[in-house]
Amino acid sequence: MNWAQLVTTVVTVGSILGVVTLVLNMQYGHAGMINFGVVAYFAAGAYTYVLLTQSPPSSLDQYVVGLDLPVWVGFLGAALAGLVFALVTGWPTLRLRGEYLALTTFAFAEVFHSFILNEQRFANGTRGLVGLERPLRDQITFVDYNVFFAAAALLFLVIVYLIFERIVRSPYGRALEALRDEELALITVGKQSGRFRLEVFLFTAPFAAMAGAFYIWYTTLALPELFTAEVTFIVWIALILGGEGSNRGALIGIFLVVVFEELVRAIPFTTVRAAQIAAEVEVAALGLLLIVFLRWQPFSSLARMRRRTG
Amino acid sequence: MQSNQHAAWPVAGGLRHGANRGAIEPTGRIVRVTQLIVFGIGSGAFLLIATLGFALVRRVEGFLNIAHAELMSISAFITWYFNVKLGWHFLLAALVSIAVTALVALVIARLVYDPIKHLGPAILLISSVGVAFLLHGTTAAVVGVGIFGFEIPRLAAFSLGEVFVAPYRIVLLGLAAVCAVGLALFLNRTRTGKSIRAMSINRDLAASRGVDITAASRATWLVTGVLAGLGGVALGVLGTLTTDLAFGQILVILAVAIVAGLGSLYGVIVAAFIVGMAMDLSQLVLPGGYRPVIAFALVILVLLIRPQGLVGSRERAT
Repeated sequence: MNWAQLVTTVVTVGSILGVVTLVLNMQYGHAGMINFGVVAYFAAGAYTYVLLTQSPPSSLDQYVVGLDLPVWVGFLGAALAGLVFALVTGWPTLRLRGEYLALTTFAFAEVFHSFILNEQRFANGTRGLVGLERPLRDQITFVDYNVFFAAAALLFLVIVYLIFERIVRSPYGRALEALRDEELALITVGKQSGRFRLEVFLFTAPFAAMAGAFYIWYTTLALPELFTAEVTFIVWIALILGGEGSNRGALIGIFLVVVFEELVRAIPFTTVRAAQIAAEVEVAALGLLLIVFLRWQPFSSLARMRRRTG
Repeated sequence: MQSNQHAAWPVAGGLRHGANRGAIEPTGRIVRVTQLIVFGIGSGAFLLIATLGFALVRRVEGFLNIAHAELMSISAFITWYFNVKLGWHFLLAALVSIAVTALVALVIARLVYDPIKHLGPAILLISSVGVAFLLHGTTAAVVGVGIFGFEIPRLAAFSLGEVFVAPYRIVLLGLAAVCAVGLALFLNRTRTGKSIRAMSINRDLAASRGVDITAASRATWLVTGVLAGLGGVALGVLGTLTTDLAFGQILVILAVAIVAGLGSLYGVIVAAFIVGMAMDLSQLVLPGGYRPVIAFALVILVLLIRPQGLVGSRERAT
């Protein structure tokens, strides 16, 4: 097993999904909004980035738009797409809460996924796009590109973490926690709870969308099967694992999940069947972890204790 | 777990979208619409069986059990194992499999859901996602990749005029009717059924009035398991099986339950056929891959306009 490579992969994937976990933690852990369609923002960012930066279609392609713009335009476009998508999904669901919000966000994500899957003109449908360019690929000569990219992803994660920590500690963050715990009290002191819900969607979604652009850089692929509800569920598992309501816990959770996944993937299998069994056992194990952690909540009770004393 | 598997209902051959779609004569178009309505009724019957158990759990236990479709998957593959691997008669295999599925549903409820009931419906919902992962991973690891089918006699579709009707779909329609009527009779006429209804309205009050809560909850899960088991068998009869099939099903089941109004059982009967029909008729204008989109467009519409659903109780969604 190549340990250096494993560490690089874990840092990269963990950082990218870590941002999505932080977004979910802000929405669910702090504001109490159950978002079961978090992958939609991730995918919206990823695909917008691809549309903006890919080269115009060749004769073999079925997609229509390829603007060939610089990487940074694509990155900003991804953030903007996240914002627009949050507006589209957030505005009608403002009034909904609990399981109804969960179902509507889930529905929006599935509709979007179906669109990516079926619309050939958007990004080649099921066939997807492969071999996408990675930013600064030719300029980075002084260090291994993968190491450089892992560092960039980690930097992105740290920036998002600091921003979110700042928000959580501000009066605004406390208002969000009131939205979760005691909405009536929030309304009584003259805050509009609906507006808070929309704002949370609006300021968190662009980060998930930018993480989507990072994911495209990492995989160099834009395939519908990379953006299924499984992403949503993995991020949820990580959040529950680490303890919702704590940004640090969310990061611990996602890195545990990613380490676990990459370790399973790093096992050298001799047969296809063995690899397939391992992949499915991994799914089953993640489910079991979710059940066990929801029942006993070891980390979240720790986080709660820390909050009470600190 | 992929969500792009929606192949539960085999699309009729010869009804593909052609480039000359606009050139179909008026009578051809009427035949095509009638044919899709017939398909829609079949899809509705399947959705009715699949959703009844899900809606019952929502009503009585108060949460959305995402793992419901995985129970169907388990039932389908147990039937397949007895039927194809061991060579049992299909009906025997199906019956044993339905019984096993009911027990699995009960065991999962006792081990996973009951201990965390006090944490509320949201946590139960997320837990059931965990259960869905666990069941899916286990089934897929045991069964493996591939396409599976039952060993049942192939009955040719018969035609009424120019419209084709598959015999198994008629059987399914009958089964769906039996399920709906049977569940209604069970809930209204039997002692256990009445205690389930009492429990679903007010658990504490029912308990204090001497209703055996534990027995009623056990009966609920067994009935749900039987319905899920039947749904799984229906899946295998209507088409071929893959281990990814269930995930696509839960999306549509959710759609039916929401259109019906969460917590409503009679609404499911109407909603199943509305959703089934809408998905099949959508093929007039959209490629088949968009079927779930139609289901979810209905969901979003219903949630925004009438969150309590078609026949929903006055429960607050907002």
